[in-house]
Amino acid sequence: MTLEVKNLVKIFDGKKVLDNISFRVESGYTLGVIGFSGSGKSTLLKIISGILYEDEGEIITPKDSEIAMAFQYSALFDFLNVHDNIAFPLVERKDYRKKYSKEQISKIVSEKLKMVGLEGIEEKYPSELSGGMQKRVGFARAIVTNPNIILYDEPTAGLDPVTSTMIEDYIVRLKNELNASCVVVTHQLSTIKRAVDYVIMLYQGRIVFTGSVNELLSGRNEYAKQFVNASIHGPMNIATS
Amino acid sequence: MFELKKTLTYQGYILLWGQIRDFLITLGNIGCDFSRVLKYLLSLRVNIKETIEQSKRFAYDSLPISLTIVGMTSAIIAMQLAPELARQGGGDYTGTLSALVMIRELAPVMSGFAIISMVGSSFASEVASMSVTEQINAMRVLKVDPVEYLIVPRFVAGGLFMPVVFIVSATFGLICAGLVSNWCADLSLLNYITSLWHGLYIRDIFIALLKTSFFGATIALISCSCGYAARGGAKEVGLATTKAVVWSFLAIAFWDFVFASIFYL
Repeated sequence: MTLEVKNLVKIFDGKKVLDNISFRVESGYTLGVIGFSGSGKSTLLKIISGILYEDEGEIITPKDSEIAMAFQYSALFDFLNVHDNIAFPLVERKDYRKKYSKEQISKIVSEKLKMVGLEGIEEKYPSELSGGMQKRVGFARAIVTNPNIILYDEPTAGLDPVTSTMIEDYIVRLKNELNASCVVVTHQLSTIKRAVDYVIMLYQGRIVFTGSVNELLSGRNEYAKQFVNASIHGPMNIATS
Repeated sequence: MFELKKTLTYQGYILLWGQIRDFLITLGNIGCDFSRVLKYLLSLRVNIKETIEQSKRFAYDSLPISLTIVGMTSAIIAMQLAPELARQGGGDYTGTLSALVMIRELAPVMSGFAIISMVGSSFASEVASMSVTEQINAMRVLKVDPVEYLIVPRFVAGGLFMPVVFIVSATFGLICAGLVSNWCADLSLLNYITSLWHGLYIRDIFIALLKTSFFGATIALISCSCGYAARGGAKEVGLATTKAVVWSFLAIAFWDFVFASIFYL
C-alpha cells in the first residue's frame, strides 16, 4: 500500500509552511521526516492523516487504505480505560459498529496490547500509566484496525534512552507485521538510525535533503550535516526557522 | 508627528472590532456545530450509550444545586410576598402568584442557571481539554466524528432532561413557598394549595417544558461548541469555559424573551 504526496502546499496566515513537498513511501518502508521545530513536520502529518486540508497538491493513497496516527503526547482519551481506548474505533466507527461481539473486541484488544508488549493493563486509566506505556497504548490504538499507513509524530520525544530504544523496536516490528508504509516525524538521531529506511529533511517548509540514513550521516549535504552535528552554524538559521 | 495608530480612538476601534470579530466567529462556530448536530438528528444517528451517560450528568449532577437555588429563591419571595398580601387582605392569592411566577419564570431560569454552572461549564472545559490535548484530532484520525460522539449526545440529553430538572425544581419551589407562607403569614397550607391550583395552567406548564427543553439543548450546544473551538493550552481551556458560561447566560435571556414575546405578549 503506497503513500504518495505530490506537490503539497499549506499556507497559514499568508505564510507557506509547506512548499511543494513530494515523496513516496512504499509498503514495508519507513520514511523519517526531520527538521527543526516549526519546519512543518507535524503539519505534514496532520495533512496526511486528514486533520488538516492541503491548499495545493494531493495525497494519493489506495481507495481501501487505512491511515493511523500515533500522536506525540499519545492523545489517549482520559475518560476511558486502556481497553476502551484501544477498542474505541471498533465500537464507535460507523463501518465497524456491530461487526465484532464484545468478546471478539476484548480478544483483539489483548492481541494488540501484546504486540506492543503490554498485557494485563486493560482496566488501567491513561493517568495511571508512564509516558512510555501511554505511547505504546497509543500505538496499540492506532493499529487496532490493521492500518496500512502508520504515521508517528515524535514517537520518542520526552522518553528516556532505554524506553526510546524499545519504542523504536516496536515501530520496526509493527511495520514488518502489518507490512505498512510508515512516516516517522522525529528529532532523534537514534530513531532515524534504528527505525527509519530513508529520510527527508524540511527547512522552512521545503525539502532540503532526501536520501538514505547513511547518506544523511555521511555529511555530504550541508543541511543534513548541520542537523546531524547539532551545529548552530550552517545553512539553516535557527533563529528564523 | 501625528500617528493614527497611537490615537485612543484608533485603539478603541481596534478593541471594538476585535470583540465584534470574536462574537461573529463564536456565533458562526455555534451555527456550524448546530447544523452538524441537526444532520445527525435528522438521520436518527444518535449514540444511545453516550446519551444515557450524559443524561445522568444532566439530570443527576445538576439537581441538588437546582433544587437549592429554586427552593431558596421561592422561599425568599414567599417570605416577602405572603405577609404583605395577608396584610392587604389578599393572602389567598399567595399560592396563585407563586405558581405563576414559579412556572413561568423563576424555576425555568433558575434551574437554567444552575445547569450552566454545574453541567455547561463542565462540558465546555472537558471538550476544550480534549481539543488542546489532541484527543479530538485522535478521534478524527480514528474516523469517529467528534460532533457525533461528543456534541450530539449532550445536545439530546440537554433537550430531554432539563425539563425533568425543571419539574422537580418547580415542585420543590412551590412546596418551599407554601411552607414559608404558612410560617411567615399564618396562611393555612390548605388555602395555599387551593390558591396554587387556581394559578396552575396546563398551557403554562407546557410552555415551560418547551422552554426548558430549548434552554437545555442550547446550554449543551454552546458549551460543547466553545470547548470544541479551543486551541492552545490551559489558558484557552479557561477562556473557553468562561465564554461558554457567558454565552449560555445570554442565550437563556434571549430564549426567555422570545418565549415571553410569542406566548404572553
